Amino acid sequence: MKKRTFLLLCTLLLMVSYAFAQVRVTGVVTDASDGSPIPFVSIIIKGTSTGVSADERGAYVFANVPANATLVFSSVGYQPLEIAVDGRGVLNAVMTLAAVGLDEIMVVAYGSVKKGSYSGSATQINQNSFKDVPVVSFEQAIVGAVPGVQISQRSGQPGSLPEIRIRGFGSFNAGNEPLYVIDGVPATSGDYGSGNMFTSSMNFLNPGDIQSITVLKDAAASSLYGSRASNGVILITTKKGKAGKVVSTFKGNVALSYFAFDNYPMVSEADGETLTREAWTNYGTDNPVFWQSYGSLSNYVEAMVERYYPSRKSDLIYQDWEKALFRTGITQNYEYSISGGNDKSKVYASVAYADENGVNRIQYLNRVTASINAESKVSKKITIGGSFQFSNQKQSGHQDGQAKDNLFYLWKVHLTPRWPFKYASDDSYWMEYYDGGTRVNPVPQWHLQINDATQMRALLKGWAEVQLTDDIKIKTVLGGDYLKSHDRFAWLYGHINFTAYGKGYASDRFRNVDRIVSSTTANYNKSIDKHNIGVMVGWEAEKEDFLLSRLEKIDFANFGATESALANTFRAGFTYRSASNLLSAISNLNYDYDSRYYLSGSFRRDGSSRLGKDSRWGDFWSVSGSWRLSNEAFMRDINWLNELRIRGSYGTSGTLPSNYYGYMAVFSYGVYGNEGAGYPSNLANADLTWEKNRNWNIGIDARIFDKIDLVAEYYSKTTEDLLLNASVPSTTGFSSALTNVGSMLNKGLELSINYDIIKKNDMSLSVGLNWANLHNEILALANEGEQIVTRPHIWKAGYSYVQYYTREYYGADPQTGAAMYYSNATKPDGTRDRTLVGRAQAQSVILDGMTAIPKGFGGFNANFSWKSLTASMAWSYKYGHYVFDNAVDDIDDDGYNSYKNTSEDQLNRWQKPGDVTQVPRRIAGNTGGGYYDSSRALKKGDYLRLKNMTISYNIPDKVKNSLRISNARIYVAGNNLLTFTGLNFDPEVQANGYYNFTFPALRTITLGIEVSL
Amino acid sequence: MKKIILNIIVVSGLMLSLSSCEDFLDTKPTNVIVAETAMLTLYDAGIVANGLYENMKWFDYYGTQMQLFGDQRGDNIQPRTLSVGWPQIYTLGYEAEANTYFSTWSRCYETIMRCNTLLGNIDKLQVTSTADIAKKNDYKGQAYAVRALVYFDLARLYGYPYAKDNGASLGAVLITEITSPANSKKPRSTVAETYAQALGDLETALPLLSKAKNTYHFNYWAAKLLQARIYLYKGEWNNAYTAAKEVIDQSPYSMVSNAGYVDYWKQEGANETVLELFVSNQARIDLDGGYVSMWHNLWHGAPSSGATLIPTVSWINLIKSEPGDVRANFVRYDSQYEISKAWLSKFPGNGGTNFRLNNPRILRITEAYLIAAEGALKGTAGASAASTYLNAVRKRANPSVSDVVATDDLIQIERRKEFIGEGHRFFDQMRLGKSITRADGDGHNFAVSAGCPETITWSYFKVVLPISHTERQLYPELQQNPGYTQ
Repeated sequence: MKKRTFLLLCTLLLMVSYAFAQVRVTGVVTDASDGSPIPFVSIIIKGTSTGVSADERGAYVFANVPANATLVFSSVGYQPLEIAVDGRGVLNAVMTLAAVGLDEIMVVAYGSVKKGSYSGSATQINQNSFKDVPVVSFEQAIVGAVPGVQISQRSGQPGSLPEIRIRGFGSFNAGNEPLYVIDGVPATSGDYGSGNMFTSSMNFLNPGDIQSITVLKDAAASSLYGSRASNGVILITTKKGKAGKVVSTFKGNVALSYFAFDNYPMVSEADGETLTREAWTNYGTDNPVFWQSYGSLSNYVEAMVERYYPSRKSDLIYQDWEKALFRTGITQNYEYSISGGNDKSKVYASVAYADENGVNRIQYLNRVTASINAESKVSKKITIGGSFQFSNQKQSGHQDGQAKDNLFYLWKVHLTPRWPFKYASDDSYWMEYYDGGTRVNPVPQWHLQINDATQMRALLKGWAEVQLTDDIKIKTVLGGDYLKSHDRFAWLYGHINFTAYGKGYASDRFRNVDRIVSSTTANYNKSIDKHNIGVMVGWEAEKEDFLLSRLEKIDFANFGATESALANTFRAGFTYRSASNLLSAISNLNYDYDSRYYLSGSFRRDGSSRLGKDSRWGDFWSVSGSWRLSNEAFMRDINWLNELRIRGSYGTSGTLPSNYYGYMAVFSYGVYGNEGAGYPSNLANADLTWEKNRNWNIGIDARIFDKIDLVAEYYSKTTEDLLLNASVPSTTGFSSALTNVGSMLNKGLELSINYDIIKKNDMSLSVGLNWANLHNEILALANEGEQIVTRPHIWKAGYSYVQYYTREYYGADPQTGAAMYYSNATKPDGTRDRTLVGRAQAQSVILDGMTAIPKGFGGFNANFSWKSLTASMAWSYKYGHYVFDNAVDDIDDDGYNSYKNTSEDQLNRWQKPGDVTQVPRRIAGNTGGGYYDSSRALKKGDYLRLKNMTISYNIPDKVKNSLRISNARIYVAGNNLLTFTGLNFDPEVQANGYYNFTFPALRTITLGIEVSL
Repeated sequence: MKKIILNIIVVSGLMLSLSSCEDFLDTKPTNVIVAETAMLTLYDAGIVANGLYENMKWFDYYGTQMQLFGDQRGDNIQPRTLSVGWPQIYTLGYEAEANTYFSTWSRCYETIMRCNTLLGNIDKLQVTSTADIAKKNDYKGQAYAVRALVYFDLARLYGYPYAKDNGASLGAVLITEITSPANSKKPRSTVAETYAQALGDLETALPLLSKAKNTYHFNYWAAKLLQARIYLYKGEWNNAYTAAKEVIDQSPYSMVSNAGYVDYWKQEGANETVLELFVSNQARIDLDGGYVSMWHNLWHGAPSSGATLIPTVSWINLIKSEPGDVRANFVRYDSQYEISKAWLSKFPGNGGTNFRLNNPRILRITEAYLIAAEGALKGTAGASAASTYLNAVRKRANPSVSDVVATDDLIQIERRKEFIGEGHRFFDQMRLGKSITRADGDGHNFAVSAGCPETITWSYFKVVLPISHTERQLYPELQQNPGYTQ
């Protein structure tokens, strides 16, 4: 009734205004994100059906508009925009993509839907939120943006693969990585690095080519991917051509980076000497026998200090190692894209070049990418399309990247300020081994070692779609995904390891992953009255071939040689192939009634070559439903409630063994003398099957006061038949067999809220916050009471997958300063003995409540725009979890190693009776110290980090017009700008909480420009 | 339009029919061989037979630890300090809770599994020619002989000496065929049953095995000598004597001369050797095997080699007590390390070039002489026969000594001198109910300060190794040795 009255009033008003004045309005509609014109936008006078449509260049002419009318601009995928005419003749509209809202089109498994009709749990991130983020890896876009997803940077090394955990941990041995699907085709993912370097295979994507990323979380969203969906699915949609004027865009940016955090502050040179002296003094005091030959304790101590922390010599040159090893990293990114088309054909093409000189002086990465995405409606009923993405990446690391083999580790642990750099006499490098150490000055060794990798990736896809009848559509897709990687490792003449195997060493490794995916689906969509029904059936076949070639040679023919061709002696070489095939039938049913009730079901049957004949076929399904309460008649009158929807889902998904042939009994071959030696190398398990996931999810979506969006979800995911290399009795002749055992539970609550504080034509401000928690628990293992120690963790029923298991550290004995631990031996009555003892007597135990599972994690963001200026920032946080800092071993060792660096922590050491501290009395060669595998390495991992912040400015129209460009924009962006944590090292640790000197995250500041013609 | 639709349907249908058959899902590895097709020819069987020895080369068996269980628990060899060179073996400091030293158990069962796999598959081979049948029988015989050796080793590592309780203590779990995890959860047999299994396997093996020299594989003579050794451990002196005598009298092997003795240890496949494991350094294709065989820094104390194991002062004193003994040349004094500065240069590496690569000697003809001596002395053949064999060994080592009349003590002293580093001493003392005493009185022995009794007899519970808790967790029916935590 109210509405009718309102309509009547409007009409009346309009009629009145008609009588007053009418104007002819012209203008251009552009996209707020990049200033590109939006074609075919529909423009109506508010409250009427009178309207026009913009042309392909986004321009419109609207005659006879009442001077006091309001124009409503709308286009699919954009937030509707209202502008009051106020008598003006030119109205340029800037529309923003619909980031939130239930009418947003979302890419989901095998199709796309309106968010409001989707009952599954999925979050889509549009390119707006990561286009300016200066990272080569797009995964960073998800950080803090998707509730329930934990992302950590494994390493700050260029090209490394971030770790993504969607809703906890689902697997022991089959991996916890999500499945990546690019434009509907499952893609190769994971790390294809060498022993010393990370190389993410997903690194081939230029973030600028990505339109959106959708993270599928529950069964309704992901079970259509069946046997690979357990760990969640990440759908990547690349950019397509837009109809309308040809838009070519150039984008360039330069970024500077350095460590984001002051990792492991070290003691000053003077303190280092003091601490060394103290350690030797204590040692000598305890063991007078050792200094007898020196005459006095002080003579002995001074001799030892001189040996392990020698004073600076005038004939030696010393160096600030940080400056010698590291630099400000410079990343440059240039991309050019062109997009255009008409209502029949659309094309998008791009080329990009990225060049990254890492913070580590010997790191670099460069990458060329190119892509084309085209489609054409060749007849009334047939559309065909094709796409190709290509990239070629080169990177070099030289003993960088992974734990304890990189310059970061050398710098922090070995290279003390007293470590000489060069000889003053002839400027040659000081290359001696430090007393007791195994490392040498790395600087002159850089160029004498080759450690590089190239990665070529090509994705090719062709598809055709036929509209058979008005209701039936058939689509067939053929995709190829080719990954070719080559990494090299060599010790050249002059390198410290030159003679490790012979005279020099050169190795090459080639890996190819070829994947072909073919799918055909038929869709039937029908609406009868208020009933809408959609049915999809189809099949999919996937073939993956893996090839590995390896060559190792030694003994260079010439000391200038760098490649194996010039090495005389064959050391190792082989090639092999393996294949993994998957055959699937897929189907999906969607039904909704009157935009109020929604029901969906999906079913997939998968057959995999990774399993034995009798157990290779498996069925995966889901059912889900939602109820859009706000569309009910009884809710329509609640004005403040714009949207309200509840939804729920239940279903199954799976994980395949990562081992292609884990179910088979096979023979491997080694060498005995001059002949081969064959032996059974795998215990057969014909019953091996996938991990099964039972997954339910309930959610509520609401929008209130036309300002606030709320989403709350609760999920529970039980994984059964977990794939585990389970121990078998040694009497079998094997140590383990790939087995389906036990079960694990992940459940949690996810909340997100978005508040549009200001929403005006020329100014907007919105803030968003999301929070999630996670409960992870192993429900059962193979045998009752079984525990599998995976230091520093333990797997045991009733505990989390990342439960810590170690000795419980107490601190220094206030009287003696000795490192003390709780005994924790089990007493006859079952309780733990809490007596304080030394390390050797302390038992490793499950430390209740100390896990790497956070109590909460998520992010918040704010977006502000005012006229031509936009600013945004995104924070991420995690709290309530513990990390295991393995560096304690090296730099907090209470004097164990005299020649190593010492962390500032050691300044708190016990010095005299009565001192209460965590750091024991320092003793040289301290074997009883607290340094080794105890809860002393467990630290609270809480952190809050400003992940990125971007300020962008659109060049004013006047300038644009005079330059004859359609849009231009400059921006400045920063990554990891601020970090708050109680840790003394970068808190972004991988989800299992273990940290061991991998190259830390970087702070990056980017300056960029984007020009569209 | 219709054409295109037709094309799509045809192409899609074609792909579907191509892939819909189960064949699409049958993929095979290429870097390993599917078990069903792994032994289709005699050649394949020979390669699988090689696999038996390949497994024994590892550090936790004949690569290093088997020798250390005999020498380092005895009074021949000790670690340089308590933080290097397997000190837990030296101090008998092993616990059931720790896994560190118990990969020997699983290594032994892996070798047994390989034997059982060969035996379970070889009869499927159809061969007709006499030569092929002989070859096939030889492979079969090798598998039985290797299995006998492993069961014997398990009995002496995990079971008490036979003489202590006539074999009543717990021995090995007997697995004699290809088994599943469920069927492998069997309790342990007694030492007597384990000995019977080993001797039975040898009885089966002997008629199958070739008598031709085959240094890197079991042949008839190696099996016979092993049989002699097992009889000796069991106290069946006459049987031991007969078997050893057969090897001495009829086999193609002969003791290396005094002049050739030091160099013998550099040689591969010398006439002294009845069975050794082949660790090739040719073209460096066997680096892994070599790396773990007689692990370099365990044995070599040369400056900068990172020596961790050294000969004990008492052994050095023993070998020097009679001047002119060629074996005293093994003691060298140019080590940079404390204590005696001495190291053992017995194993210089194959060809003397790479001390990382030593072929572990498992059976030598010299052992046959010493078994014959002991068997004769304690059996019916008598002391004069015993003296002949004993003196042959003594004079080979030191031509200047005069003949002696054999006594048990003299035989054991000779064994101690001769077999240093070959893993006999501790087992010899135990099988005879004697003791190991490690009080050198010069401060070099630190087993006692680490908690080990000064004198070890077979009544000390740690003379047998514990069954690890990890293993017992998988099936508690596996009995623990007395004295260790359950």
